[in-house]
Amino acid sequence: MTPAPHRGKPESGWAGRFEDELLRLGLQPGRARELTEETTQQAAESATAPDALFGPAHLYARHLLTELNTAPHPAIANPNPRPAPGPGPYLDPGPYLGPGPDLGPDLGPALDPGPSPGLGPGYGVGHGAVRLRLAGVSKRYRRRTVFSNVDLTVRAGEVTAIVGANGCGKSTLLRICAGLVRPSDGTVHRTRRVGFVPQDGGTAGWLTASEHFTLFGAAAGLAYRRARSTGEHLAGRLAWRPAPDQLAQHLSGGTRQKLNLVLGELHAPDLLLLDEPYQGFDQGTYLDFWRQVHAWRDAGKAVVVVTHLLHDLQHADHVYDLGAAA
Amino acid sequence: MTALVVAALSAREVGRRRVALALMVTLPLWFYLLRREAEGQSIRMLTLGMGWAVSALTLFVVNGSRSVDPRLRLTGASTLDVIGGRLLALTGGGVVLALGYWVLVLADQRPDRPWAAGLMMVLTAVVAAPLGSLVAALLPRELEGALALLSICAVQMLADPPTLAAHLMPFWSFRELGTYVVDGADAGYLWRALLHAAVTWLICAGGTYALFAWRLRLPRYPEP
Repeated sequence: MTPAPHRGKPESGWAGRFEDELLRLGLQPGRARELTEETTQQAAESATAPDALFGPAHLYARHLLTELNTAPHPAIANPNPRPAPGPGPYLDPGPYLGPGPDLGPDLGPALDPGPSPGLGPGYGVGHGAVRLRLAGVSKRYRRRTVFSNVDLTVRAGEVTAIVGANGCGKSTLLRICAGLVRPSDGTVHRTRRVGFVPQDGGTAGWLTASEHFTLFGAAAGLAYRRARSTGEHLAGRLAWRPAPDQLAQHLSGGTRQKLNLVLGELHAPDLLLLDEPYQGFDQGTYLDFWRQVHAWRDAGKAVVVVTHLLHDLQHADHVYDLGAAA
Repeated sequence: MTALVVAALSAREVGRRRVALALMVTLPLWFYLLRREAEGQSIRMLTLGMGWAVSALTLFVVNGSRSVDPRLRLTGASTLDVIGGRLLALTGGGVVLALGYWVLVLADQRPDRPWAAGLMMVLTAVVAAPLGSLVAALLPRELEGALALLSICAVQMLADPPTLAAHLMPFWSFRELGTYVVDGADAGYLWRALLHAAVTWLICAGGTYALFAWRLRLPRYPEP
């Protein structure tokens, strides 16, 4: 989408950068201007400079767009599958599942994302832009080949599931995508802003959830108050209200994973890499998690989920079977 | 700014580990009390115990953050923010501990060069923190790291001061300063101690940074 000229006098400073980022993300100019005015007014009402209240303009613009897209994805309630786009590495239901559980037509197709609620017509945040591309990626540890020749493309507005047997290298592949592990061969192209949620660990046991928000917010350049309010808001989407004095080590396994998810999203990444993030979730939280994944997809984020649960695959637009590639 | 947040939260983390903190604070005291009758020895032992306590605490804090650090890097923090922040917090805590024990020594023993006694303790704390982080960088497992620090301190304590082995130990500077403080030696001891401490600090802090910069390096993947 080509940004249209601003109505009226162009903004400068924080508001200008905020509006530019909204336009860059594909928001209609009128709506972008409206949101900019509302945001600056909100800052003025609290007698605080916008950058002190909201943090960097481009980050807040991304957060705002995500927050405006929190309604469940239409595909959850009413899947509208269409055939997967051509051959490729994506999973063919036959060989992977064999005679196993019948997942129906939801396995492997690209779901139609449908219209995104909340932002009106014309909103299309980067659907289709490539966020991650792996070509011929291999990983070896000494003489042992974990996997080889992995080709994978993940676009904005897509959820890709990586499946495979234990030990086939799913987590290693995800860590390669994040940049935490180097591939032995192949090339990786990736968007700069990435959020990574590990399978376990990744939190400091002696800090509270709010302190985690402060710590990771500082790393992302978010203002202190903005980091905390964003973290608490994101936690609320997972039906979790962090207790002010509860240390991370005293959280249940599922709640700690919620904290991990919030930390992965705190800096509004374009690409989310999730390594079996639902460990310990109860049924309600599990559903909240997938709603959240679809909200990210609707907001134009690319999401890669490592999973071994077959019923997760109905939520994915693409499935990559690493076991078959290894 | 990020380094300061890391430092503040690291200090808070350590502050919440009350038992570990109490053991760290009291460990030098036992060293001191066991040699209290011998004035010079008691100050030396106190300082050595403090060096061991601060370096061991740093080792555990740095190792305990291993799963968080890569995520902080991915989120946007630099290696200097992450490692520098922790070192700042633990060095600050070590200096506070050193000053506390300095007051104790002044009240209990009245050494001839009180300022030099304080310098000796502060310098030891300043060297001990990066020493602990360097050992943590080299030996990622806590048990191995703790044993390595124990070995270093044991060699430091037992090695004959004029020998090369004693000179190569990271806390040799406090032994030189101890001679200056307790035995009234000339200023040459003071300058050699300062030089040794500075070189040791540079090696430990620089080595820590280099190892973590390598370990926490992120590839510059091109945009698709």
